[in-house]
Amino acid sequence: MKEWVGFNFQREIERVREAFGFDYVGIALVQSPERGFELKWAHVTGNKSERHRRIKLQSGKGVAGLVFKTGKPIYVGDALQEVGTDSLFNYPIIVAEGLKSFGAIPLYKSYRVNGVILVGYRKNQGLTLEQFEEFKREIGTGFGPFYDKEMVSDESVQQ
Amino acid sequence: MNQFSNENLPSLLMNLYGNSGEAIFFFDRNGKVLTMNSAAKDILDKDVYEQMMAGSTGAICRTCRGYTSSDELQTCHSCYMSNPDENISSFQVYFDTKGKGVIPYSGSIHTIDEESGIRVFMLRDLTQQFKTQEELNQKLMMKRVIKAQEDERKRLSRELHDSVAQEMLSSLVDLRVLKYMNIDEEVLKKVQQTEGSLMRLLDDIRHLSVELRPATLDDLGLEAAFRTHFKWIEKNYGLIIHFHPELESKRYEGEVETVVYRICQEAVFNALKYAEVDELVVRLYEAVGFLYLVVVDEGKGFELKNTDPKGTGLGIYSMKERAELVDGNLQIRSEIGKGTVIQLEVPVVEGGGNK
Repeated sequence: MKEWVGFNFQREIERVREAFGFDYVGIALVQSPERGFELKWAHVTGNKSERHRRIKLQSGKGVAGLVFKTGKPIYVGDALQEVGTDSLFNYPIIVAEGLKSFGAIPLYKSYRVNGVILVGYRKNQGLTLEQFEEFKREIGTGFGPFYDKEMVSDESVQQ
Repeated sequence: MNQFSNENLPSLLMNLYGNSGEAIFFFDRNGKVLTMNSAAKDILDKDVYEQMMAGSTGAICRTCRGYTSSDELQTCHSCYMSNPDENISSFQVYFDTKGKGVIPYSGSIHTIDEESGIRVFMLRDLTQQFKTQEELNQKLMMKRVIKAQEDERKRLSRELHDSVAQEMLSSLVDLRVLKYMNIDEEVLKKVQQTEGSLMRLLDDIRHLSVELRPATLDDLGLEAAFRTHFKWIEKNYGLIIHFHPELESKRYEGEVETVVYRICQEAVFNALKYAEVDELVVRLYEAVGFLYLVVVDEGKGFELKNTDPKGTGLGIYSMKERAELVDGNLQIRSEIGKGTVIQLEVPVVEGGGNK
């Protein structure tokens, strides 16, 4: 994470959690190519289990893998209803943390998804669509050039 | 009847007639009912019975739903009643019985008194036999489906590994060559990104191939396949599996290994989905001609007799079916709040097959 020197992820997600009152915020980052581009939950806050430490997701697996692969945000207002108990186990971090409503957005760098930020509540419909939109706007500016594609291209021009 | 006395015969016959579960009708040459036993009376609707007793010849057609010919399941074409001189030792016939709906019967009709042309018509309820037959068919079918699925998975897995992944690898090599040619900085960066994507894709394909059916199972056996699988589970789901293999890398018959692997996979997935635990124990060992697999979790547990299972309810069923494929036995013990133990025992050749 040399390129992000001076940026404190942990402090930032804690700030986000407090500002929005989320139960859980986590950031998954892509590992180096030598590690097969796996996604790891690098920074979390509000966690009740340590399971995220063991999880290394391949692209396309789990919430982070899905967002990473598609490059699009995910919003789930009611996990039990929308995902269903039968396939919820495919999202281990949601199960481990008991999140009932959650949203995740990709963090871009050089037109590529470099990480995923996940926010969620442990109660149903805790995260509303409006709130999620607001959160996306907040990240777009607050997290610097990671979310907005336009802003990312600015960064690459500077390079 | 040489050695036996025929003294009791009339009373025995009367008992048979009166108490038998088989319906017995006596017809005259014209198809008129002479009499019937109580079992026959029981299956008839009241007004059909009255019509019959009144001597109506067509009354039986109101309750008969046709017999099975080589052309049709239920037909009236050349009805068994139509030719008074024909004896049929057995045929299948459907009757609309009182209170039980249409039931399949095995019927027989033959002349017992040629002079006066009296014929006896007997019906035997086939419901039980049909059920047994159906269960047997279902089991056979299930086994074939499992086998077909396993074969197909093997084929797909091989195809992905041997042909698709190989092709992809050679494109990757081509791309790498490109990096050492005289190209722009900008192009180089793009090439590197594409290389990364391709590598990920290659990884995905390999994972897919292993997920379908691990080649390690065929090449290196249960222990190696389990180790890879459990590592994968831990990575993807964060579930720790304490694996205790006590086999010393022994090999078994291909089918046995497949069954044990699949059952364990299902058991671990069930624990993962429903037990709400962070870790579980898998033990694999051999004792007195049996190979044992034990999967233990200390999670939520479930009610074994629960008719409304959390998932599809097919998991346990197919595990048992798979166990039966190799004459194995699957035991499931579970207690709410205490956890679940799944034990599989499969008979193997003493000392393990050296396949």
